[in-house]
Amino acid sequence: MRSADPSTVQERVRHALSDEFLRNAVKFTTERLRAGKQAASEEHPNWEEWRERARQIRLHTIAHLDYYLQEFVENARANGVHVHFADTAEEAAALTLEIARLRGARSVVKSKSMVSEELHINQALEGAGVEAVETDLGEYIIQLAKEPPSHIIIPAIHKNRYQIAELLSKEAGEELPPDTTALAGFVRRKLREKFLEADIGMTGCNFAIAESGSIVLFENEGNARMVTTVPKTQITLMGMERIVPTWADLEVMATLLPRSATGQKLTVYMSGISGPRRAEDRDGPEQMHLIIVDNGRSLQLGDPHFQELLNCIRCGACLNACPVYRHIGGHAYGSTYSGPIGAVLKPALNKNVAEWDDIANASSLCGACYEACPVKIPLHDMLVYLRQRKVEQGERSREESTGMKGFRYVMSSHKRYGRALRWARVMQKLLLQDGVIKVRIGPLKGWNSYRHTTPLPKKSFREGWQALEQDIQREHGGMDERVRERLRRYLEGQEKGSKGDE
Amino acid sequence: MKISLFVTCLCDSLYPRAAEAMVRLLARYGIALHFPDVQTCCGQPAFNSGYWQEAKASAHTILEAFEESDYVLSPSGSCTGMIHHYYPELFADDPVMLEKAFRLQKKTFEFSQFMIRVLGIQDIGATFPHKVTYHPSCHGSRLLGVKEEPLLLLEQVKGLELVPLPFAEDCCGFGGTFAVKMSDISGAMVSEKVDHILETEAQVLVGTDMGCLMNIAGHLHVRKEPIRVMHLAELLYEGVSGHAISRS
Amino acid sequence: MNEADREVLLRLEKESRSKQERFMQQIADRLGRQRVTEKPEHPFKGAPPEWHRYALDQEEQIALFSDNWKKAGGHVFRFPHLEAAKQFIAEKAEELRAHAIIRQNQPELNALDWERAMPDVEMVVWQTEQAADVLRYAAGADIGITMADYGVAYTGSLVCTSSGDQGRSVSLLPAVVMAILPAERMSTRLGEVLAHFDGRPRAEFPAGIHFISGPSRSADIENDLTIGVHGPGVVFALIVG
Repeated sequence: MRSADPSTVQERVRHALSDEFLRNAVKFTTERLRAGKQAASEEHPNWEEWRERARQIRLHTIAHLDYYLQEFVENARANGVHVHFADTAEEAAALTLEIARLRGARSVVKSKSMVSEELHINQALEGAGVEAVETDLGEYIIQLAKEPPSHIIIPAIHKNRYQIAELLSKEAGEELPPDTTALAGFVRRKLREKFLEADIGMTGCNFAIAESGSIVLFENEGNARMVTTVPKTQITLMGMERIVPTWADLEVMATLLPRSATGQKLTVYMSGISGPRRAEDRDGPEQMHLIIVDNGRSLQLGDPHFQELLNCIRCGACLNACPVYRHIGGHAYGSTYSGPIGAVLKPALNKNVAEWDDIANASSLCGACYEACPVKIPLHDMLVYLRQRKVEQGERSREESTGMKGFRYVMSSHKRYGRALRWARVMQKLLLQDGVIKVRIGPLKGWNSYRHTTPLPKKSFREGWQALEQDIQREHGGMDERVRERLRRYLEGQEKGSKGDE
Repeated sequence: MKISLFVTCLCDSLYPRAAEAMVRLLARYGIALHFPDVQTCCGQPAFNSGYWQEAKASAHTILEAFEESDYVLSPSGSCTGMIHHYYPELFADDPVMLEKAFRLQKKTFEFSQFMIRVLGIQDIGATFPHKVTYHPSCHGSRLLGVKEEPLLLLEQVKGLELVPLPFAEDCCGFGGTFAVKMSDISGAMVSEKVDHILETEAQVLVGTDMGCLMNIAGHLHVRKEPIRVMHLAELLYEGVSGHAISRS
Repeated sequence: MNEADREVLLRLEKESRSKQERFMQQIADRLGRQRVTEKPEHPFKGAPPEWHRYALDQEEQIALFSDNWKKAGGHVFRFPHLEAAKQFIAEKAEELRAHAIIRQNQPELNALDWERAMPDVEMVVWQTEQAADVLRYAAGADIGITMADYGVAYTGSLVCTSSGDQGRSVSLLPAVVMAILPAERMSTRLGEVLAHFDGRPRAEFPAGIHFISGPSRSADIENDLTIGVHGPGVVFALIVG
């Protein structure tokens, strides 16, 4: 983790907003990915139907998770995999270290895995004197920089080539040019040796197929293949919800995941690993361990507002669609998972409301995340539910709480509301400046920092209603017959429609 | 038949001209809107902030106001979306109110949605010889699913040159209390939205939600950009009558 | 494996089994119902039903595959028979000045006379060497040659499965990979290939199933597309028939 990380959301946001390079880089990348997704979803026929299908498969799997996870585990065991369970990050780390000790491991090569970031496995390994090397190009870069990922798919989105050249030059012990091909070439050579020397290969898991006990990995660089081909031992970390029932279901996920993430028809590599190498095989791991991780996931089960969170396939489309992420990047979220999914996942995985910071408030609730989500998770609704739970459990700011009491007092009666309008109209005279309100005090502070506020007009709509109504009655006759007919027919159609629904 | 106006607190207090334009436009089809004055606010500011009890107190006035109506029309996709999308959630534990919420949900429409889907009117007979760009508000287009309707109405306006807005579907940064609580992010968002609007070189920005339009207009004012900001109903009314709504 | 290690594994296994019970029970408890132990009805299995009707004839499949493979940055060539594909590989090897080649131990490849086509090149066949060495050799090889088991037109993918005679390394470690696909192994949809794995008996199940859809790539540095990051940077799909 970054040591100088500012602590509150507001501070992190200000920090991010003042970083011109970061903002441009994030904008450029998310626009590229978003355009890719747009094209890929338009090109694939019936995208919406596929989204619904994917959602149904995920809903079904999670609703029967005990069955499918059990089926998966038994099949994986039959394939020769050593399966372990971890309730917490600490348990997952302890299991990893135990396996490393068992195998006498000194070094681990890792392919990109969000769950391993979530569990801080690298720190645990390093603490035990085992070298852990990230091998995804972006992950390798941020590991050298000692920073967390700032995007689910493109972890080093916030670094430019000059910063990257500096980091890699230190590693190389010589000056490397800020040229992508040269830098990637250095990493290829450097990590090739690491792959060949490593004792353990460590992966995450995009999907686990219950029917055959297989894990499936999606990637573009080939490092996940290296990690599962070269070292003698493989450890796979897997969130307990990664299951799909069959290979047939994988077609749906494999169609939606890459298209939603980068706009690719399929990632360059999609690998199904079903146990350690067979007796006659000459590559692949001799021993394979699988650690199934809960770490707060099961808290979502049975929760009517948050169970769908487990449907997430970690494509990052919600980040690329999010207008907030676009301006502040991933680190401002202050957790492993960023963007809309991170804003919900972080508090949800940790149900202690008092410990949530304000991240659920960093959304305009525009719903772009939901629209982009290939499994249709209503993240914008979940953000509202999070806020509601916080309030319900008494975690509220005094300022806001007072404001809301006032809102209730005024808005629960139209008479009070009318009086409040008249009062505000008088008071605003004190604030008017060139026909608008510019003062930055109280609740107007933030708002007026970027806007001028229009004053209330002389008459509200309700105050002018009587005159307007008379005007209308004078000028116009009765309802047009065709209009009446349409209104009647539409109502009837709705009645029928709603009966049909039942 | 009782067709009622759900004016929304924002149009009632700050933008009565948008609601008036809507009333006058519908009057041309002989639809005399009824305005029950017990209504206040749909409750969204409190609901979105997590204060559901407070939201309910306000939402009650809406349920009460339109109990007897056959249709309810509103100049806001966001407030209509609140009724459609969140009222069932808000009143989930109150069967009597829930029943009312479902009834209201069925009969409530946003202005352009009503014109196109219910009345089937696209060409309102308006002329508006200006360069116009359209910002689709998030709640109207995403929560309520009103995407094509405003464009269908604008396409029929004579003389109107509709310029596509780059990144139109990106949020303007309003988000109700978001703009107050997370003002720096919101400020960055509205600033980018205005950049895109300026790119179009349009003279007029039109939309279907005064919340977003207030946000954008407020920032345009800071930047001293003389772009006119109008609700769709205002534009159409000016297009058929030849003059803007003037309220004395 | 020594005795002490075996004991650790046994202990971990025991712990895992007891934890598994609690894990599954907790899921059922949270979902507010009894454990589900019978296979549930799965009404949404796989792709939407009408997608299964999407079928191309062989020429269309090859055209679509080629288009996708090339867009991803790969090369495609077509040959009337294996002999011609072999000739092409030999020419390319000369052009690329390849010194070291590794190929799978597959009957189609074994039937070809590589010696005569490339007398000056060292060609190692997977499996015949010592395991450790053959991995190192593959990592240093200029070209890897493999037959692909399946092709998918819609995604532009070739599928290689692992076995004693089919190393995963051959399609992964060399700088250049030549994958030969007999035209009749091409299918239109991804699901047609995945169907081969649903219900396949464990004894016949390969440990590694690899869908390959172009050269290794990354855009992690400033969105600048880089080819050949860890896997091969040059990939040839050679379609035969």
